[in-house]
Amino acid sequence: MALELSSEQAAKNRFDVRAIAWQLGPYAIAVLAAFLAAGLFIGLMGYDVLRAYSTILFTSFRTPNGFVQTLLKFVPLLLQAFAFTIPLAAGKFNIGGEGQMLVGAIGATAVGIMFAGLPAVLLLPLVLLAGVLGGAIWGAIPAWLLYRFNMNEILTTVLFNFVSFGLVDYVATEIWRDPAAGHPTTIPIGPGAELPLLISSPPLHSGILLVLLIAVAVYIYTNRTSAGYELIATGANPRAARVYGIAVRRVFILALVLGGLLAGLSGAIEVAGKQHRLIEGMQSNLLLLGIIIGLIAKGNNLAVPFVAFFIAILEVGASAMQRTLMIPGEMVFIVEALVLLFVLLSDVFRRR
Amino acid sequence: MGQFGDNVTSFAQLVILSLVPYVLASQGTMLGGRTGIFNVAQEGIMLVGAAVGFLGAYLFDSLLVGMLLAIMIGGLFGLTLAYFTTTLKMDQFVIGLSLFFIGLALSTLFFKVVVGVTLQPPLIPTLQSVAIPGLAQLPIIGPILFNHNVLVYLAILLSAFLYYVLYKTSLGLELRAVGENPKAADSLGVNVTLMRYGTAIVGGMLMGLAGAYLPMVYTGTFTQGMVRGRGWLAIALTFFGGWKPHFIFFGALFFAGVEVLAFRAQVLGGIGIPYQFLLMLPYIATILVMMPAFKGVRAPAFLGLNYDREKRAQS
Repeated sequence: MALELSSEQAAKNRFDVRAIAWQLGPYAIAVLAAFLAAGLFIGLMGYDVLRAYSTILFTSFRTPNGFVQTLLKFVPLLLQAFAFTIPLAAGKFNIGGEGQMLVGAIGATAVGIMFAGLPAVLLLPLVLLAGVLGGAIWGAIPAWLLYRFNMNEILTTVLFNFVSFGLVDYVATEIWRDPAAGHPTTIPIGPGAELPLLISSPPLHSGILLVLLIAVAVYIYTNRTSAGYELIATGANPRAARVYGIAVRRVFILALVLGGLLAGLSGAIEVAGKQHRLIEGMQSNLLLLGIIIGLIAKGNNLAVPFVAFFIAILEVGASAMQRTLMIPGEMVFIVEALVLLFVLLSDVFRRR
Repeated sequence: MGQFGDNVTSFAQLVILSLVPYVLASQGTMLGGRTGIFNVAQEGIMLVGAAVGFLGAYLFDSLLVGMLLAIMIGGLFGLTLAYFTTTLKMDQFVIGLSLFFIGLALSTLFFKVVVGVTLQPPLIPTLQSVAIPGLAQLPIIGPILFNHNVLVYLAILLSAFLYYVLYKTSLGLELRAVGENPKAADSLGVNVTLMRYGTAIVGGMLMGLAGAYLPMVYTGTFTQGMVRGRGWLAIALTFFGGWKPHFIFFGALFFAGVEVLAFRAQVLGGIGIPYQFLLMLPYIATILVMMPAFKGVRAPAFLGLNYDREKRAQS
């Protein structure tokens, strides 16, 4: 059930040039093939393929604003991807990243509004903590249902997304509604709850540093610690892991809660760094992109940040393409889906 | 009959009407599962079925064409799932989630490409009710059961038909054997690959049609994310119904009932409960009923696992 991680990781660890080429080669081919196939499709629909692709690929690098937009997109994408890959390492599928993110965002907003008067040294950590806690709780409920009732986690995690949509709407329209906003939105959090900016114009908040630290921590945890080894061993073969003495069901819980925690943090960072309030619909399609990043990276947590950055580039390019060339931004979904498909297929061919 | 009686009748009528997408998608899930293919792309397939069904009906001015196109695209998704899992032996959940993603992407893409971005989306006529002569005139059960659109009758007949095939024919026996013990079925000459392809494709077709039901009966148009979790709930229903077509049908009554109840309560002003909590009701109710159901249920032994005849044991 788990993705095959061992050979990948062994190759990465050895820093053997040939082995790395063996790993990255299929990726390059997959990306190229996806762009060719999608280009055919875009061309057939009568759009200018070259202009579309140059917009998709280079918007992030043409202007400082484009690059900052890409980094701001990268932050929640990376956390959503980890929220998927950490449970995946244990063989569990967390499809609840957006619900966990939203509950985290609710927690962060609530603390940011209720204690708006506190100074930043106190309030900001509390806000982030509330986000983490909210996400962890939202991940813990499906984990508990799995542990106690053996309920399929794909199902429970996804159903709790829909519950969280109602909660967001309730908070943004009934509790802290901002009457000036036309769309369900809360009043702003206190100034002490805002993440400090690294660059003021275009605004880039310090959440980017936080998630880079987390990326390192996640890699060390899953690939260099015995707890992480238990996680991967459980995912590779739960029966063998149990025989070996690993408390498999507890590992499942831990993995799902960790995933929820990171998704919750992504909600808190969006609130504290970018929006400074809770906005309905803030999850956009982060969940799906997080899943697709995790799958393209084949669950390898060293590869996740790179894939996440690549997807962030595509997403920023897609909205620019929709604005300037009037080509539906969803076209990029097709590119992403094809990349995933070809990456998966490359595994099949390598096996033969 | 009085006000109360009328309310009960119209409630029951709405429940039967809302049964259809759950029944179709869940029977499709059950079919694949019975041969070991665990489809988790329902939500995506239903979305793409809704988009294609709507667009087909809109472009060709025919609901039938829309339905057929939705069935075809659903079948194509089922075929893809079968090919990647049964032939290429790839992880069923990974492929299922990828297909979910692709379905979701294609649904909005198709709609935007054909219709463009408009404030007022085009409308299609919704499916008309067909009263069954004689039966529709019966008191109480007549309007509740026998005055509906054709897909309602289809869902009922399909459930009965699937029960018959699975439990009263040798094909059904072979099919169930594939999901329980493919090795044994294989050694007895059952074509495991064919069974898996067949059920995955028919399952996908049912899901596509389930999606097309939404614009054709409820809204008359396609909106982004209009399936609203019904695809995922259909998986829950399949477990709830113990992977048995007759239990799934009756379980769907509960799912449709909760949906109608939540909707009704919103319309009636929420009886003091904020409407947001009524919106959560179907999902929470599902999780609550699944708690006991999951302990008692026996899913097919090979659910979600690929069969490789050259391997000794399956992991």
